[in-house]
Amino acid sequence: MSVVGNSVFMIGWEYPPHNSGGLGVACQGMTEALAGQNTQIYFTLPHKQFGSVSHMSILECADPAWFAAGTISTHPPFLAYTADKRTPQSLEEVVFDRHHLNALPQSELESKVDRYAELVTQKGKALQQQYDVIHAHDWMSFPAAMSLADATKKPFIAHVHSTEMDRIPSGYGSDYIMSTEYQGMMAADRVIAVSYYTKQLLVHKYRIDPNKIYVVHNGINPLLVAPDAGRHHFASQRPVIVFMGRLTMQKGADYFLQLARAVLAEIPEALFVVAGSGDMYHQLLLQNAGQGLSANVLFSGFVRDTQQQILLDRADLFVMPSVSEPFGLVALEAAQRKTPVIVSSNSGVSEVLPNSVVADFWDIDKMKSEIIRLLTKPDEYQSTVNQQLADLKPLTWASTAQKIRAVYAKTGQK
Amino acid sequence: MPKVCFYLHLHQPPRLTNISVFGLGTQADRYFQSPEGENDQNRKIFLKVAEKSYLPMLHLLGQLLQTEPGFKCAFSISGVFIEQAQRYQPKILEILKRIVATGKAELLGETYYHSLASLYSPSEFKIQVKRHSELLEDLFGFTPKVFRNTELIYSNQIGEQVSQLPFTGILTEAVGRYLWDRPKTKVYFSYTKKKVPLLLKHAELSDDIAFRFSDKNWKEHPLSAERYLEWVEMYQETEFVNLFMDFETFGEHQWADTGIFQFWAAFVHQFLARPANSFVTPSEEIARALSEFKQPSDIPDWRLYDVPEPISWADVDRDVTAWRDNVLQQDTLRTIYELEPQILGVGDKRLVEDWRKLQTSDHFYYMCTKWSADGDVHAYFSPYQSPYEAYRRYSIALADIQERLLQKQANGIFKNIT
Repeated sequence: MSVVGNSVFMIGWEYPPHNSGGLGVACQGMTEALAGQNTQIYFTLPHKQFGSVSHMSILECADPAWFAAGTISTHPPFLAYTADKRTPQSLEEVVFDRHHLNALPQSELESKVDRYAELVTQKGKALQQQYDVIHAHDWMSFPAAMSLADATKKPFIAHVHSTEMDRIPSGYGSDYIMSTEYQGMMAADRVIAVSYYTKQLLVHKYRIDPNKIYVVHNGINPLLVAPDAGRHHFASQRPVIVFMGRLTMQKGADYFLQLARAVLAEIPEALFVVAGSGDMYHQLLLQNAGQGLSANVLFSGFVRDTQQQILLDRADLFVMPSVSEPFGLVALEAAQRKTPVIVSSNSGVSEVLPNSVVADFWDIDKMKSEIIRLLTKPDEYQSTVNQQLADLKPLTWASTAQKIRAVYAKTGQK
Repeated sequence: MPKVCFYLHLHQPPRLTNISVFGLGTQADRYFQSPEGENDQNRKIFLKVAEKSYLPMLHLLGQLLQTEPGFKCAFSISGVFIEQAQRYQPKILEILKRIVATGKAELLGETYYHSLASLYSPSEFKIQVKRHSELLEDLFGFTPKVFRNTELIYSNQIGEQVSQLPFTGILTEAVGRYLWDRPKTKVYFSYTKKKVPLLLKHAELSDDIAFRFSDKNWKEHPLSAERYLEWVEMYQETEFVNLFMDFETFGEHQWADTGIFQFWAAFVHQFLARPANSFVTPSEEIARALSEFKQPSDIPDWRLYDVPEPISWADVDRDVTAWRDNVLQQDTLRTIYELEPQILGVGDKRLVEDWRKLQTSDHFYYMCTKWSADGDVHAYFSPYQSPYEAYRRYSIALADIQERLLQKQANGIFKNIT
């Protein structure tokens, strides 16, 4: 091991194709790029990984007791982030739902995270000659990382993709999760935040030393097939404005409905699509009907893969009014598919997509006038599309991997 | 010794298929018939109910009409039911034709689409009622004379609308808050300019069969024909016992193994065995009631049924909250009826037809979020996993209708230019 950081023990939680959110996608993008830069990676998961992964060694650290007979064990034993409790839209969600985090008693949740820590530590100790850095993703893996770092005396990097403060913007999230985040970041030698927005939150709300926090933005893979942007996919007669994300307080779907009402007052034929599921689903349907917009705002349910692409290809505008968004990968995906993006100023993605429209999530007036401007001025629309595409050019996972490797190197020199 | 009027309602809604946001503007004519044919939900349900209820009960009624000379009955058959019967099980219509041909079964008028048009659009209401009457004339050679509105929904205002149509009377529910303690076994008259006879459902005796028959917790379970006969015979010769219920009561809501078919056959036989008892059709009941009075001005005030707010035979509330209680229902109803001038203005037949099928009351019934036992009844009838899913799908259909309108209007403009 001549160069520190050429081999890393990564503690993960989810990985495509079985991911519920951006964490799995980010882990895939960064590990593929790290492997491309000659980094050897061990990657732990609390479940079986099906599908071929050849760029790293997957270590399954699952307790068989987590998975009742007959259930599919290719998912985490519970969800890290809140998903839809009430109306699962797909088989995947039904399966996820069964292991819903919020449905678990606190003690059970803690015991599962602790058990994962034990299993990871066992594997990590056995392999300790094979790596020089421990890299852990979000709170679920922090106890494992702390325990392994303690046992092996190896440096530990805490990578923060999302915090409880983002997920529960009121600040009344789980004490257990918040304290696990805090202890993990305090124990870590370095912290990687996915944005300056997140770094600022870690400093102000978790009181983490800013000097140990490094900002490394996520990347995005270039499209293998050119986007098929245009109105031909569906609803060709009217502008389509899309929201895509979990229907939770965090994502600001209720502000999207307020925005819809404001825009429809001026462009009555506009069509709004809400794609996603989550615990605000019923409340949003009632809000929508209460606003008299039943035929103007449609709920597609949870979308993935092809449907997600079609929706972003079709969208005339994409709006992400998140109350708190550590990064917001889906905004980059929309930009990639030639859709002008309106993003919340409380987001990481606004730092790397300067040519998108940035607005406060509560500023309905501003978002409305920007939508009307873009829809009525084809020149400005087109130049936004082009400038966003230019913004995307440097946002490669290779660049993300380089920055991560630089953090590995610094961590080794402590 | 009373007269019994036995009336059954035949209806199946055009349920929405799983239409998708991603097909907006491209899924015309696919709202109610899924492309997968055999897996078509409407077909599956229709065939299942035909097997369990329509065919065996029609068979029994046909027999009773032959073996019991005094037996009579009435049907309301929605237009959307007839369409589905034609498509999925035409045998039902053949048997119905034979039954109507006996002259002892009366067909009632209603809206073709089993809609709530009476509450939202008098012009649309009139069109749908006329279209339904024409269908019955074409198919059965029968012109309906008596009217029953969707789910027996009635109010003074609806009475006014019906009084301008060629009907001699209306069926509705006896609701305590408007009937007070007056007997429901009399014929009443509408509180409108022209007094229209009203036949009121006997809820207790109807629901003994329709709801309680198989309820093992009911103290009268199992109900025998003899016991039921005692209850019916408590009424006088001058009184009418109006037994109004869903046709599916026989064989579907109450399965064959509950003994419902045998019960009904035995009741009819035992009831008619006493010469003082008789069955009447709604038209006969109306004729008798009218014969009490030389002229409308002779009708005393206590025979007027004043219903300022709409009533129905649904739920314990007997009002229209089954269809328009929450905002999901209110906003979708508002939207579908606000489209009327645009849809009729474009005049595309298929568009008009889909718009009307979206008016079928069941779509709104499925969105009901009321609590308690009524909620269970709604859930029993709903093809969707929740009222929210019913709303979600219906919204997509509404948006699709609008998309098609925009397409037509765009084409229209284009044509004008060229």
